[in-house]
Amino acid sequence: MAEHEQHALSYRLYLKTWGWLLVLTAVALALGYAPINEKFKAFLLVCTTLAKILVIASIFMHLRYERLNLILLTFVPLVLAVILFSFTFPETLGTATHVIQVRGNAVP
Amino acid sequence: MDSSLAAEQQRILASNWGGGKSPFGTSWSKFMMWIFIISDALTFAAFLITYGFMRSISPEWPKQTEVFNMVLITFMTFVLISSSAVMAMAVGAARAANPKLAFRFLVLTVVGGLMFLGCQAFEWSHLIEEGARLTHNPWGVPQFAASFFVITGFHGFHVLSGVTILAIVAIRAAMGKYSADQVENAGLYWHFVDVVWVFVFAFFYLL
Repeated sequence: MAEHEQHALSYRLYLKTWGWLLVLTAVALALGYAPINEKFKAFLLVCTTLAKILVIASIFMHLRYERLNLILLTFVPLVLAVILFSFTFPETLGTATHVIQVRGNAVP
Repeated sequence: MDSSLAAEQQRILASNWGGGKSPFGTSWSKFMMWIFIISDALTFAAFLITYGFMRSISPEWPKQTEVFNMVLITFMTFVLISSSAVMAMAVGAARAANPKLAFRFLVLTVVGGLMFLGCQAFEWSHLIEEGARLTHNPWGVPQFAASFFVITGFHGFHVLSGVTILAIVAIRAAMGKYSADQVENAGLYWHFVDVVWVFVFAFFYLL
């Protein structure tokens, strides 16, 4: 019986998590349409996205019940992605723009 | 020298990482699923970073809200998040040794995945009809449609694989050839597909 109650409790937790994810999606959607500074908007969207994946990973994917070893392992792609992003993105601040424009216009 | 080497070897073998133990505290199949998810996440990270790079060097980028049907995209997001929640419940039911309930939740998850794929097929055919191709599109730089097709295409293919895997797991649950580990591993993959969509939704459709 106690076990049954525990399972009912976890269903309730999943329903609650589902609700919060929908709220975060609504916030992200509102941000998409909000007339604010692009950089600030990007920052806020990164925040809502990170909040969403943390909620999904910790509750739906049960990461919060796993050992710290596994939790640390799952953050590897995020860290590597940030490194990849931070050394490729500054390249775009150069003058490469016209290359894409010429190619774009060349296509009928 | 020799004795210190032997002592070092002894120390390593006795540690959690020396073998014969389970330093991650999971079954091997769940651990392998996590390794797969991590490597797959890097694939999508590469796609999204490339997209960011291309968008940043493009002189202008089409306004997504004018190209895409945002109601449809929001509905797709809603369906995928809901199916993820239902999947979590399927894992809960499987852990509670309730195969009937797990089967029902799994079927609901598959239905969610199929709805998502249907919406995506509709979106793709609509955009292709309007003249979007990998090499050019009517709204601006060719990189726009190229990144759209590649990113949503790869994600859609993952959804298709997920639906296939979940259907197999559901059929096995109905047949009684049922293991909670199997349901959980399939669930991990399904949540990962949802996580990727969260990124695509925020950075491709909204930003």
